[in-house]
Amino acid sequence: MTASVPSPVVAAQPAPVVGPYRRMVRLFFANRLAVTGLVLLALLLLFCFVGPLVHPTDQIHTQLADANLAPGVKGHPLGTDDVGRDVLGRLMVGGQTSLEIGIAAGLLATLIGTVWGAVAGYTGGWLDAIMMRVVDAGIAIPALFLLLVSATIFRPTVTTQILIIGCVSWLVPARLVRAEALSLRSRDFVQAMMAMGGSHRRAVFRHIIPNAIGTVVVNATFQVADAILLVAYVSFLGLGVAPPATDWGAMLSNGISYTYDGYWWLIFPAGIAIILVVSAFNCIGDGLRDSFEVRLQGR
Amino acid sequence: MNRSLRPSLRAARPLAVLGVAATLLAAGCSSGGSGTAPGDPANGGTPQQGGSVTFAMPPNATPNWIFPIATPGHTQAYNGTIRQQVFLPLYVYDGTDTSKPDVKAGAAELPKYSEDGKSVTITMKDDLTWANGEKVTARDVEFWFNLIKANKEKWATYNEGQFPDNIAKFTLVDDKTFTMDLTQAYNPDWFTANQLTRMSPMPQKAWDIQEAGGQVGDYDRTPEGAKKVFDYLIGEAGKLSEYATNPLWKVADGPFTIKEFTTTGQVTLAKNPKYTGEDAAHLDTVTLKPFTSAQAELNVLRSGGVDYGYLPALALSQQKTIESMGYKVEPWDGWAITYIPYNFNNPEMGPVFKQLYIRQAVQMSVDQDTIARVIWHDQATPGYGPVPQVPPGSYLGEKQKTNPYLFDLDKAKALLTSHGWEIQNGVATCTRPGGGDDQCGEGVEQGTQLKFQLLTESGSTETDNTMQELQSSLSKIGIALSIKSEPLNSVLDHSPVCKPEEAACSWQLSFFGTQGSWYYPAYPSGEDIFAGDAGTNLGSYSDPKADELVKASTSSTSPTAMQDYSSYLAENLPVIWMPNPAYQVSAIKKTLGGVVQDPMAGMTPQRWYLVK
Repeated sequence: MTASVPSPVVAAQPAPVVGPYRRMVRLFFANRLAVTGLVLLALLLLFCFVGPLVHPTDQIHTQLADANLAPGVKGHPLGTDDVGRDVLGRLMVGGQTSLEIGIAAGLLATLIGTVWGAVAGYTGGWLDAIMMRVVDAGIAIPALFLLLVSATIFRPTVTTQILIIGCVSWLVPARLVRAEALSLRSRDFVQAMMAMGGSHRRAVFRHIIPNAIGTVVVNATFQVADAILLVAYVSFLGLGVAPPATDWGAMLSNGISYTYDGYWWLIFPAGIAIILVVSAFNCIGDGLRDSFEVRLQGR
Repeated sequence: MNRSLRPSLRAARPLAVLGVAATLLAAGCSSGGSGTAPGDPANGGTPQQGGSVTFAMPPNATPNWIFPIATPGHTQAYNGTIRQQVFLPLYVYDGTDTSKPDVKAGAAELPKYSEDGKSVTITMKDDLTWANGEKVTARDVEFWFNLIKANKEKWATYNEGQFPDNIAKFTLVDDKTFTMDLTQAYNPDWFTANQLTRMSPMPQKAWDIQEAGGQVGDYDRTPEGAKKVFDYLIGEAGKLSEYATNPLWKVADGPFTIKEFTTTGQVTLAKNPKYTGEDAAHLDTVTLKPFTSAQAELNVLRSGGVDYGYLPALALSQQKTIESMGYKVEPWDGWAITYIPYNFNNPEMGPVFKQLYIRQAVQMSVDQDTIARVIWHDQATPGYGPVPQVPPGSYLGEKQKTNPYLFDLDKAKALLTSHGWEIQNGVATCTRPGGGDDQCGEGVEQGTQLKFQLLTESGSTETDNTMQELQSSLSKIGIALSIKSEPLNSVLDHSPVCKPEEAACSWQLSFFGTQGSWYYPAYPSGEDIFAGDAGTNLGSYSDPKADELVKASTSSTSPTAMQDYSSYLAENLPVIWMPNPAYQVSAIKKTLGGVVQDPMAGMTPQRWYLVK
């Protein structure tokens, strides 16, 4: 007789507890477009900031004797521009300027907009009305117009460009965060904090803004992309950083002048770089938006 | 004994005109008589009478005035060119030969100056009549003079001390002749070229009225009457849409009349059937077409929509395409100079700029030949002094003919180091202050660094690249140049004549010469830009010898006065001399003959003709 051996009962394993941030990261990396954007951005950062160490060029002095050389000639993989500077090296240096200004200005705009919107939304009443009318008025004035006027008044440098672009781009994030704040200020945890004697400052900076962080972060990526485009616009109009510094917009503007000469290497590299970096930030932004979206986290 | 003198053009442009260069400048210029004659084999084909031609004006050139007295705001490009086709000026110059006026295109015979140079007698041409049948007389010139004298403050080209202030007395000798007594002796060449060219007879028997429908009188002979007549005519002149229909403007004496004049700037000139002079038009109509951008013009040119247009410098690679469409492509050189003024009154860098050796070092760092060839695609001419380098003429001094400061960076650097400057971190720093031969110079303090700031006009790739090249060259000798680009008007606003204590004196170097910095009248003297008290001496350049030479060039009868002035300023470097860009690169239909590209930007469309 064979004794029957009871088959072991496999107890059901409890699902591991995954925190909200890990879920967000997992969701983000599950988004192929977002990952592509991230990789693209990393490559562009490497290209701009590490590239000059691998491919050192003189971007200070002109070499008129070597002007407009085609790609591959005299050791210039992407040719030379109209004053004889190596285009590949210039693309790296120009990228540094575009990325520095774009990222810093985007973050500055987000910072200002977040604080402004949170204060307005949390406070409400007449202060909210005044603050948001300021935003409305600012939005009514084209940012490009303000940029051009500012660029005429101030000598364009990386710092002034960051400040100027940052100061004309905060309006949209302010509106978004205000809308979040209007909703958050009536939540129980805010009310409870206030009932316990918490200050308005604490409410805004410890509760409203942290709980609106999803909106803020997503918008920040779009702000950076927009800022890079704004830098390109301003430079395209000839009011960018002063030579010998450059940025991708200025390179593109310069290259467009030679459309009829067939100097494609003065147009495509800078144009493609702008498209790539803006697309990268937009993809990252889309990925982050999906990650922060609570309804998608259970998918 | 009287001497007959030389030609004229219009007076030097006011500063506002600066830089806007080709444009403003064209306003008063005239054109020449050395056009190819019909039938000239150089043009090929058989000249035809009649036909229509379309001419492309530069971007944003919008004619808005035809009255022979321009008020502020009405000196825009082509106003003068159009006006002189309808109302003949006293004298017109052709920039291809600035030594004499193009008598054929004007209303008077050559002027005769008294031996002491203090009076000038002018006789009107005998064959000219107004469209109403009246002869063009000396009284018509007096009418113009009286209006100017009574309303000089409203005249856009009025400069204190010059016309009409320098006319002591205007006397009618007879129906055809008048004499003007001058307040002092003047160089006849200068006076004709820079003063008489401003004069233009106006039909006194048709225009000497004070209100619409009023009786013609001699109102202009009293200041009050002259003011009323002037105000009435100016009021009528403001009605652009009536230029083609208003009976006032029909009383013309030129080879053309106005057929169309739109507020958007398109002007059509029609052959004047009542013209009685010797310079009658061949064509039936000439249309001057406005464009908002060079690119827009290029697109029309490529479609064959204009007979006489231009190529933007950066579209020169299309020359063969354009030529294959039946055009000939030719540069149109301007009677101009291009330069970067130093602000000698800048509190920081003024003392540095005052050192001649510094200016020499800077000038030696400008590789004009390469800039003209590579950056300007051979559409600019190196310039070495205050007189236009081309076309070469009798005014060029020996020193200016042969560049006294050849491009030589080693020599430039040596000039600095031999005067007490040491290159530290790439920037020259004064280590031996003082006024000795081997020291930095009076007013330059120890530790001063050669860091210059340059304001430059935006919008031109050639200009941007020229400034980058200059920046690059200067950096090699230890001078750090920072560049700020602004729109042209902004650059002019930010580069005023100033005193050291004024906030506006913060500018150091300024460039506004994408189309040439300064367009001269026929006589290229420097009383407006390089004399110590000149209104457009932007950088407040001051040199006693230069002042003497400038004065001699306008008042001395010495034939070498201009050459001496030219040579001295070529060496003394009141500004940084730069290559002078062509006024434009023209594309002219091969079937269009008789075209002369007047360096003073004038035109003589009455001499154009179509060939079969």
